[in-house]
Amino acid sequence: MNKQLIKHGHLPFLMLLKLAWRNLWRHRKRTLITLSSIAIGFGLAVLSIGIGDGSHNSMIRNAIKLGEGHLTVQPRGYIEAPANHKYLADGLALSKKLASLNLAGSIEPRISLQVLASTANNSVGAALEGLSSASDPRVDMLKPQLLKGVWLKADDARGIVIGAGMASKLKAKVGSKVVLMAGKKGGDSQAQLGRVRGIFKSHVPEMDDYLILGDIQLARRFLQGEGADVIKQPVTRFAIFLNDSEISSLNIIKAKIKSAVESDQVIAMDWQEMMPQLVQFIAIDDAGNYVFLLLILIMVIFGVLNTVLMSVLERTREFGLLRALGLSKRHLLTLVFCESFIMGLLAIVVGWIAGGGVHFWFSQDGIDFTAIMGEEGTIMMGTFMDPIVYPELSWDRITQLTTIIFIATLSSGIYPAIKAARVTPVEALRT
Amino acid sequence: MALLTLQGISKRYQQGELEVNALSDINLTVEEGEFAALVGPSGSGKTTLLNIIGGLDSPTQGTTRLNGTDITTLKEAQLSDFRLFQLGFVFQSYNLVPVLSALENVELVMVLQGKHKNECRQRAEHYLELVGLKDIMHRRPSALSGGQQQRVAVARALAAGPRLVLADEPTANLDSENATALLDIMHTLSHEEKTTFIFSTHDPRVMDRAERIITLQDGKIVSDERHHHEHKT
Repeated sequence: MNKQLIKHGHLPFLMLLKLAWRNLWRHRKRTLITLSSIAIGFGLAVLSIGIGDGSHNSMIRNAIKLGEGHLTVQPRGYIEAPANHKYLADGLALSKKLASLNLAGSIEPRISLQVLASTANNSVGAALEGLSSASDPRVDMLKPQLLKGVWLKADDARGIVIGAGMASKLKAKVGSKVVLMAGKKGGDSQAQLGRVRGIFKSHVPEMDDYLILGDIQLARRFLQGEGADVIKQPVTRFAIFLNDSEISSLNIIKAKIKSAVESDQVIAMDWQEMMPQLVQFIAIDDAGNYVFLLLILIMVIFGVLNTVLMSVLERTREFGLLRALGLSKRHLLTLVFCESFIMGLLAIVVGWIAGGGVHFWFSQDGIDFTAIMGEEGTIMMGTFMDPIVYPELSWDRITQLTTIIFIATLSSGIYPAIKAARVTPVEALRT
Repeated sequence: MALLTLQGISKRYQQGELEVNALSDINLTVEEGEFAALVGPSGSGKTTLLNIIGGLDSPTQGTTRLNGTDITTLKEAQLSDFRLFQLGFVFQSYNLVPVLSALENVELVMVLQGKHKNECRQRAEHYLELVGLKDIMHRRPSALSGGQQQRVAVARALAAGPRLVLADEPTANLDSENATALLDIMHTLSHEEKTTFIFSTHDPRVMDRAERIITLQDGKIVSDERHHHEHKT
């Protein structure tokens, strides 16, 4: 073979980009319409996912505040079968161990008990929550919801605050006496007297109908009845609330806590393990958003496919000419693929400007869903979603959306690229 | 050694149930520097023969040797490289890439060949000057007349330094004045650059310029005559 034939044609990257870019703008209007439709679709997807994430995060934040924190340290087996005799006997030692971890956040010792609350009028099953401090996030959440009376004062060993639902069932008012009775491990029962200081209305039925808040000292008397040593400050759990900046390191912190406190008696769990129903609900709700995203993807794929394929079909003769001049199949494949690549890149940039802009706008002021949700927001899974939703997008989401749209755009360029590469010069030049 | 040797080239097409003999047992030798015309009525096989010489189409039978290489044995990717480095093409129309300027069109093949940017630019400008288009070299094809576009195609074909330029009815869409001008340019450059030209035509004005006229009829060579022309400069 002639020596010159050993040489191979090479399409430099800059020439490739120049050709692809100019080809893309041959039909300016068509390209702009395709880009706009992708950008609008992408923008809507960004907004919709942002609203979804924002509302889910609002629910999660509220659930964590109302519930047992980002991380919970409690007796092993408690979540599977809660019982009043399952408690952390040496709360003091655990508290010291947790404090030594220097976590950025707060550690709240709590005592949760299942009791029977009775007044002269009625008896209802209730959850007694003994809180140790006025700074407990549950206080932050419920104190503003106080309907009547006052909030618990420090060291008020008999004071309780109950929900409006329970007050109604018990026909209790501020100042009413409520007998709290709990079963003991041996089968006996024990009782403590509480006095209603205030009545709250959280709009979460699980709280309003069943929750009784009191000082940890009041709840601890029941543990004492179970045989606990009060000196060791027994608790049923520690609710750990992380500062916002630490939430992304939840798993690392969880591992730290596990290695510090876990034993065959003690377990550390994150909020997802504590509230599996909420996680499941969010996953199902997310699926709806993914269906929307899928529709957007189909729109993007057909948009790009239509534009690039039309442009390929119109250029059959030109491809024949280029093949005659010495461009290989691979060169044509790369060229058309590059056109889809640029289209995808532009769509993402324009899409992020449009979607990101709208997202930013709403993330500042929020979207008011009061008309749909009512003043209280939407209550579900023992938590609630604020009626004003602030769309949220994490970096993971941004990367995920960008990658998905980019892959969709690129994959829609595969067929036109193959079609261009299959052009045979003789047939193409005849057209 | 001859630059181009065709031995027993036949090309048969299947058209529905009919088998059409586009070319039958073509034997032809072309020496370096020749300025040869393939003439004959429509359907005589001129374009098919040029396509086979250019490796754009493959013969049913026979061999095509260019510069010692049997191109009928080359694979598709090798044929692309072969065309890129050895051949220049000028087609009847739509010769240029619409999104590139005249200058960029001329540079394109050289860029693909891997020539240095400066060399590409210098050679492109030189050949565009030779075809009289240096002043408008930044225009895109849509801003050029048919004759100017064909001249750009000639400049592109020559700038890449091919052994052989194949032109399929290069003047078919041109008026008399432009056709003559283009032929004169091709003829002059053929001599100056010592580049071999084979072009197909059924235009008598073009035939007059050829130094060798190969006549095809029904896929066969029916005559092969050499003419002596005074070289015009």
